[in-house]
Amino acid sequence: MNSRERVLKLFRKEAIDRVPCFSGMGNITETGITKLGYKFAGIHLDAKQMADTAATTYKLFGYECGVVPVDLCVEAEAMGCQINVYPHAEGILYPTIKEKLIHNETEMDTISLPANLGAQGRVPLLREAIRLLKADIGRDVAVGSYVLGPFTLAGQIMELNDLLKLSFKKADKVARLLDLMADAIIIVAKEYEKAGVDYITVREMGATSDVLSPRVFKSLILPPLQKVIKELSVFSVLHICGKTNDIVTAMMEAGPTAISVEQKNDVAESRKKLGDAALIFGNFDAYNVLVSGSEELVRSTMRKCIDDGVSAVWPGCDIWPTVPPANMEAMMDEINKYGGKR
Amino acid sequence: MADEARKKEIFEKLRNGVIQYDEDACREGAQEAVDAGLDANEAIFDGLVSGMEEVGRLFEAQEYFVPEILMCADALYAGLDILKPHCKQMDLGVRGSVVIGTVEGDVHDIGKNLVKMMFDVAGFHVYDLGRDVPLDKFVDEQLKTDSELVCLSAMMTTSMVGMPTVIEKIKAKNPDCMIMIGGAPTSKDLADKWGADGYAEDASNALKEAIKMVSFLKKLRDEKAAKQ
Repeated sequence: MNSRERVLKLFRKEAIDRVPCFSGMGNITETGITKLGYKFAGIHLDAKQMADTAATTYKLFGYECGVVPVDLCVEAEAMGCQINVYPHAEGILYPTIKEKLIHNETEMDTISLPANLGAQGRVPLLREAIRLLKADIGRDVAVGSYVLGPFTLAGQIMELNDLLKLSFKKADKVARLLDLMADAIIIVAKEYEKAGVDYITVREMGATSDVLSPRVFKSLILPPLQKVIKELSVFSVLHICGKTNDIVTAMMEAGPTAISVEQKNDVAESRKKLGDAALIFGNFDAYNVLVSGSEELVRSTMRKCIDDGVSAVWPGCDIWPTVPPANMEAMMDEINKYGGKR
Repeated sequence: MADEARKKEIFEKLRNGVIQYDEDACREGAQEAVDAGLDANEAIFDGLVSGMEEVGRLFEAQEYFVPEILMCADALYAGLDILKPHCKQMDLGVRGSVVIGTVEGDVHDIGKNLVKMMFDVAGFHVYDLGRDVPLDKFVDEQLKTDSELVCLSAMMTTSMVGMPTVIEKIKAKNPDCMIMIGGAPTSKDLADKWGADGYAEDASNALKEAIKMVSFLKKLRDEKAAKQ
């Protein structure tokens, strides 16, 4: 059973030989970038560089997927935002949005999506990157991509501060905006599907219970998420950061094939709540364990994830590129040794 | 001078105005405090800050979430804007100036703004560099203003890693400067490893840390008043 078969069978809930170790979020490494002779700031703007880099995590370490993009600005950029890729940065800086689209409350009602959104910004570049990535390693591993969730995208195109307050004061207005964001996300996700991705992760990072109450999550965040996920024809994963134990049931109600949670989630507890059949991906700390932890911490954390009952070992966030190669190797080695024990 | 009952009533109005995120009540309460000739510092601490302390508690109890905190902060500022011009310079033995900002690569500033609010309340001079701030700007601004405190914020793991560079540069030039780091991906271990003096992992903790600090100042002020 190769990695691709293992991951796809997992999504189909068929029997597999061991717990897979993969991600639906960014997982490129500096080791990979350096080997190719690329620069971090350049890979966001070049389909070949992006695909080449994404393939290295599998090629170098046996990580069981290939994922593009690397940054979180594709949807907002396609909608008309300028992005900053920090071309002159010495270290690694992820692109950010330079200028918001909505500057005041009134503009929330007047904003509309650009015509032919699927051909705007870097969406065509992403389609090409997915095609290249699939041609390169698509026989060996599942190829994934990600989109933002409606609330997280709304937080990029307007002030998060205002969005949060209005979620409380004028929920109807925010609900209408989130519905529009859902439309935009669906258009982008459809393009990724056309390019041949095997699974799509919806990253609704801004809507964690660290920030919003479970009540607001259900009334405001869940409906547009359901709308997006219903439209996806490939396997889908819903990722939310932070504390999520109070909303795992609602996350499942959004209708994804699997949910993804980070280290603040007590997975044993979530497993009890959701039952044996639910696909729960997670939940190790992608920085404090994988990057700055010792090899032994990496190994014990992998075992803990598996013991707690994750369906796939998967990081709580993007893997930070400066991850030491020895830790990547320790992670994969431990999964190979321990991943079939359950 | 207003009598004690009236004073209590006004402070209660300010406190509840913050807790119930009622900007109008805070504005009215602040104006009443000024009109009644109450001590503005006292109205800030025993009214507005006391309300914010309760908000911190409600957040911890998961009765309030971030939207509510942001609205409470707006209410606090509504009162503070009116009271501030009437404040006497607090003589606490600290000069109190702080450089604060979100590091380059990060455009999130909610936690940073909540911490800034508590410094504003405490009468600190705040040099707010905003968000997505190039690392060297923190170093330059600290040197230029000779601030005794620098607060670095990041919400994304992807931007946090610039922090040790800033800390190292500032400490090299000015070992006495205190540095507080904050944001979801930070931790006590990282703060220790990077040589920072304090840390707060999220907006509420940052708020708590800042409240703790300001409450400490308040205690100092009370002790000083008691001696006089």
